Amino acid sequence: METIQPDILTISAAILLIATFGVVARRGFLDWLNAYRLQSVVLAGVTGIVGYVTGIWEIYIAAALTLVIKSVIIPKVLTYVTRRLEIEFKMETNPYVSLRTAVIISAFLVALSYFLIQQIPLKSDPVASTYLPVSVALFLIGLFVIVSRRAALSQVVGLLIIENGLFLFTLVLTHGVSLLIEMGIFADILVGIVISSILLFRISQTFDSLDIGKLENLRDD
Amino acid sequence: MQLTEIFTESNTTILLLFLTPVIASILVTIFRQKRISEIVTVSSAFLILLQAFFIISRIINDKTMSAFGNTFYVDSLGAIILLPISLVGFVSALYSVNYMGRQFDNGMVDLKHITRYYQGFNVFLLAMLVVPIANNLGILWITVEATTLISVLLIMLYFKQNAIEAAWKYLIIATVGLSFALIGTTFFYYANINAGTSVDAMNWTEMIHNSKLFDPNLVKIAFVFILIGYGTKAGLAPMHTWLPDAHSEAPTPVSALLSGVLLNCALYGILRFHIISSYSIGSAFSSQLLIILAIISVGIAAASIYFQKDMKRMLAYSSVEHMGLVSLGIGFGGLLGIYGAILQIINHAIAKPMMFFVSGTISQKYETKAMSKITGIIKTMPITGALFLVGGLALVGMPPFNIFLSEFMILGSGFKSGQFLATSLVILFLIVTFAVFLRHLIRMVFGKPYTEMKTNEMGNLAVIPIVILGALVFILGVYVPEQLQTLVHDASTIVSQGGSP
Repeated sequence: METIQPDILTISAAILLIATFGVVARRGFLDWLNAYRLQSVVLAGVTGIVGYVTGIWEIYIAAALTLVIKSVIIPKVLTYVTRRLEIEFKMETNPYVSLRTAVIISAFLVALSYFLIQQIPLKSDPVASTYLPVSVALFLIGLFVIVSRRAALSQVVGLLIIENGLFLFTLVLTHGVSLLIEMGIFADILVGIVISSILLFRISQTFDSLDIGKLENLRDD
Repeated sequence: MQLTEIFTESNTTILLLFLTPVIASILVTIFRQKRISEIVTVSSAFLILLQAFFIISRIINDKTMSAFGNTFYVDSLGAIILLPISLVGFVSALYSVNYMGRQFDNGMVDLKHITRYYQGFNVFLLAMLVVPIANNLGILWITVEATTLISVLLIMLYFKQNAIEAAWKYLIIATVGLSFALIGTTFFYYANINAGTSVDAMNWTEMIHNSKLFDPNLVKIAFVFILIGYGTKAGLAPMHTWLPDAHSEAPTPVSALLSGVLLNCALYGILRFHIISSYSIGSAFSSQLLIILAIISVGIAAASIYFQKDMKRMLAYSSVEHMGLVSLGIGFGGLLGIYGAILQIINHAIAKPMMFFVSGTISQKYETKAMSKITGIIKTMPITGALFLVGGLALVGMPPFNIFLSEFMILGSGFKSGQFLATSLVILFLIVTFAVFLRHLIRMVFGKPYTEMKTNEMGNLAVIPIVILGALVFILGVYVPEQLQTLVHDASTIVSQGGSP
């Protein structure tokens, strides 16, 4: 195993978290997309670092795929399909949890994930101990974004954050499952994003809103 | 590698099985005509059925079969899931011709939608066919996620508010849920690497081989994640909230596939990991969790059926109940409980699609899904009405129909293994469901039609699939064929003892 400067690990982990908070603290869809793009670029860098440390060449391919798919294609697709939506649909004007509270809760979630990782008997090399808590934090904050927001678009962004967390978690813990499976997971995400975009468009047309609080026709009463 | 090495017999068998739906969806895309799409889809589904029977009969004799260097691996448990996929796939394709044809004639859908429907139908079948055959648990996860995406497309075929709402909830809840399953799979993979496996550590066969060396704490955490993840997709309460919406708003043939087959595919994921976990740390941990979820599922289903007004939603909650019963049988364990649970998987996969088909026909005739507006089916559609009664009685577990047999085994194993509290609770919930379901059923079948309606069926192709399934419901209630018995027995041995029978 190659060694690597601990500073680089810490700084990149910090940027990943800051980008996540960029989604939590902002109201506009384009801000979220920018934060997500930043996060994905850093994630690709982290993937490269893990590839360098372990010396497995397949991980470099995964890094390149991350860079291309997550930081270029997915933001492009999302910008393209939402270009015709009205501006008020792209804003989180009335979340279930106010943004200020959301930032505080997310900070607690970060602390919680550091605590959780200490409880679970996982490995403790520098790369793992830096990134595993961050990956769990990404997962938890993504879940929180999904449940605390009304705008359908922020649920999509929440899913994307969850997925980044999952990717980091799998990568650091197992040094990447085989390339074939990673390609499959990437394909699933891409198709999922396309389908959710089609759905978003239809919701905005039939309900004349992207507020998921209005999706309440189906219930048992 | 030489060509002959790639095209060995089992490789070709698996390859042909996967190629059939691929070719069918390509043909549908090329021709874009209603009649051709129908013929292509029905014949491809029929070919899949034949091939599946061929594979299953091989499994009954040889017990296992692997292809492409152990990436694909079929054993009796996989064959058990393959059976409903191919059977329900075929009857659904047959039923689609009439159902979608009527929607087309009524102007609900146009040619573009019909093409999209048959493309989606074939790809959906393909994704589900990979699930029980994949040995690699990563591929298992990818295909289960793929089934979510395709079925979302099929649900939102209509431009209706309700369908779009259901599709959105389903997409978000199932995707988030499945992300838990991926974490669980990663944990198991990590445990396997730590146990010293270097080649194909993602394969189920390797995991079961090394499971004794796994870190017990890691296995426990991993199984919880798996249960939440695949449990969401299998409709186990309290993660079932997407299920009644999605199953009631989908086009009827898709509802049948979702309820009868897709739930089983997700449950199959839980089963595979339950086997690894039981083999590694003993079955007590995972069984206890399964029993708890099962009781919640049956209870919530009973309460929801009690207050239900919509026919298709009632059937959807009945699926929650039956998935609960299957996990109950697995949780109780013992050869009897597991045998019952596996038989229940097949029985439910026959009875539930039948009921969805009947309710689809009824709602096309009465133009509503509200149970209060549907009365006197036996007068307006004699054959369909009689079959509705048969299917309904089967679903609530009346003898001499098939589900009675498996439910009896599951509950019997509960008493046998000393789980008196759990079994009595479930029996109580079942009695509630029984009474309410039967009341709705009798009022809908008999009773007097509100408005004058012509006495006629909705076309041959609407009746034939229901008759096929109805006959199976009855036959499997009085007599389980010997081959099926062997298959179910082998599968239960795999679950109860781990590894090959």
